[in-house]
Amino acid sequence: MNTCVVRGAWCVALSVLAACGRSDSAGSPLSVRYPEHVAAGGNQPPAVEIKNPLPTDSVNASDGSKVFSAMNCDGCHGGGALGWVGPSLVDGRWRYGGTDGAVFQSIYYGRPRGMPAYGGIMSPGAIWKAVSYIRAQPVPVTVPTESFK
Amino acid sequence: MRAASLILVVLPVLQGSPARDDGQWTMPAKNNAATRYSGLAQITPRNAARLRPVWTFSTGVLGGHEGQPLVVGSTMYVVTPFPDVLYAFDLTHEGYPLKWKYRPDVNPTSLGIACCDAINRGAVFADGKIIYNLLDGHTVAVDAVSGKELWKTQIGDMSQGETTPMAPFVAGNRVIVGPSGGEFGIWGWVKGLDVATGKILWTAHNMGPDSSMLARPGHGRYTGAPNIGVTSWEGDSWRRGGAPVWGWISYDPQLDLIYFGTGNPGPYNTEQRPGENKWTNSVLARRPGDGSLAWAYQFTPHDSWDYDSNAEMILVDMVVGGRMRRVLVHFDKNGFAYTLDRVTGELLVAEPFANVTWAKEINKRTGVPILDTTKTTGVSRGNVQGICPSLEGGKSPASPSAYSPRTGLFYTATNNLCMNFQATPVTRIAGTPYIGASTPYMPGPGGNMGEFIAWDAARGRKVWGIKEKYPVWSGSVVTAGDVVFYGTLDGWFKAADAKSGRQLWKFKVGSGVVGAPISFRGPDGKQYIAVYAGIGGDWFLLSGDVRSDDPADVRPPADFAPDLARHTSQGGIVWIFGL
Repeated sequence: MNTCVVRGAWCVALSVLAACGRSDSAGSPLSVRYPEHVAAGGNQPPAVEIKNPLPTDSVNASDGSKVFSAMNCDGCHGGGALGWVGPSLVDGRWRYGGTDGAVFQSIYYGRPRGMPAYGGIMSPGAIWKAVSYIRAQPVPVTVPTESFK
Repeated sequence: MRAASLILVVLPVLQGSPARDDGQWTMPAKNNAATRYSGLAQITPRNAARLRPVWTFSTGVLGGHEGQPLVVGSTMYVVTPFPDVLYAFDLTHEGYPLKWKYRPDVNPTSLGIACCDAINRGAVFADGKIIYNLLDGHTVAVDAVSGKELWKTQIGDMSQGETTPMAPFVAGNRVIVGPSGGEFGIWGWVKGLDVATGKILWTAHNMGPDSSMLARPGHGRYTGAPNIGVTSWEGDSWRRGGAPVWGWISYDPQLDLIYFGTGNPGPYNTEQRPGENKWTNSVLARRPGDGSLAWAYQFTPHDSWDYDSNAEMILVDMVVGGRMRRVLVHFDKNGFAYTLDRVTGELLVAEPFANVTWAKEINKRTGVPILDTTKTTGVSRGNVQGICPSLEGGKSPASPSAYSPRTGLFYTATNNLCMNFQATPVTRIAGTPYIGASTPYMPGPGGNMGEFIAWDAARGRKVWGIKEKYPVWSGSVVTAGDVVFYGTLDGWFKAADAKSGRQLWKFKVGSGVVGAPISFRGPDGKQYIAVYAGIGGDWFLLSGDVRSDDPADVRPPADFAPDLARHTSQGGIVWIFGL
């Protein structure tokens, strides 16, 4: 059932952002390079660097912010993607890779420790909007490890 | 003096002191009545200062260690949070070595469906089996002697947002289970499984048509209007209306009724579910044999604040208003402590045990709260300020209370937090959160964010309290030695005099306590106290940087308790204390 489940005001918003469905021209990559992984024997597997096809601008980031809420991402990752039961997405630290392609795959296919796969209900275009939002957030200069006085 | 001591001796007899304690702890709350009262009396206010740790065990798991161990015969059983490992310890050998350990196959996807950390609230022993729930929607029964899995039943559907961290309850030959998922738009239920086979014999929803609720209006004590589980909602909003069952269950064998609380309606944005939303935030009395609904009472109609009612229903017989009544006592997240007639569901007492701003009082005749309407939330209400208690509850259902027939008092952890509440529209997408609110917390008045209290449920008043800097999130146990035990989020395990509240002893247990202590008699005839350390549950989300196992998850300090992570980190440890 790959139906569009988004209803009401948010459906309108999402429909404007990207048509619900799976036919977006950006397509879904088969194999994404994870530069932080160790390659056995020093040989990288055949893979591609996937870049966000959307321009890096405030419009895409703002649209992506709406996608982030409409898809209930904030329910686990917290308002502002600051972390809740799921990890922060704005601290510059990544369990499954922080490149455009890795973040896209995390959303599209999901991840084993709880991240749902959204590729069945979000178009690649909408996912790229969410990636645009996440990657537009400022990364703290310092790690928020506490110094107690 | 002689007269006074005579009264103290007679009192427990008058109040129906249970038969001599067998020294075991075989079900989550010690007994059917959920009193968490141990009849063991070696540890007393006179000697409690001599308590010392006699054994510890690292569970190897970092999640929130809620719930409690079981002691059956000379074996102690411990269930960890996800991945839900079951350990069996041999108490007859030095160092309590493992007899066996059971490693279930649990779907790690459940980590993303559980709203608030990957906790487990424990197991129950029945029919030679240790029975407990896996986070991913399964109940398992394991042979208590051999550790072999006897049956495994899927009870929940993660694709619909259901996970299953609650502790099953056994009434007769039924295992009673329920789901979490009030933040995922589930259609809440309880199920009755056959103890012998694990087969699901009945499913009773908490809302929806009477046929789904196993309700027959007008029959017996159930007075709900026909199909009120539909008509108290708008449209089909009941289908995703929450009402999870993630707390504790109790049982009156004479009335043959189980009692349990239901959780919040979903979503938090009230304007997407006009109506009273029955039977969310309610106590339901059902027949364990067939699940039929005997009566129901709703604590917080059309909940505007995430005030789940999953806290335990403690069953006692006590004099209320001059009459001996069979009652249940319940400390609700909404800040009121309720005493109800458990035969009829009649409301007898409802008084605030915490700082409450959302309601002025509970109308005793109608049972309905009299609201402060300035605290009602919804998208059109904007950012509503100063709601107390916070949605962590005046008391968390995760922190079960205790009752002593010797003192006639209830002992419970409480939270002193308030919140602001900004509701937002939200769309149900199965398998993802369905919340619709931003709810930052702040400490309540007085400066202390928690208090451990003793409560008189007949009069509805606090008898004594021990203020704590942080919210108190542990369960409690009270003993025939008149000592009550609880733990704190900053990692202290404490003993107090059950009569006076005088603090007797404390020990730093290595991580914040969100578990529930138990008392048992060891094979050596001595009384012991066991408890888990291991901060988590909501406090995984709220404590700031308390995990150190994931380089990709480094959190800023909690804004309302910025120094909590100075005193605790995650990590599960089982402690046993003795004299």
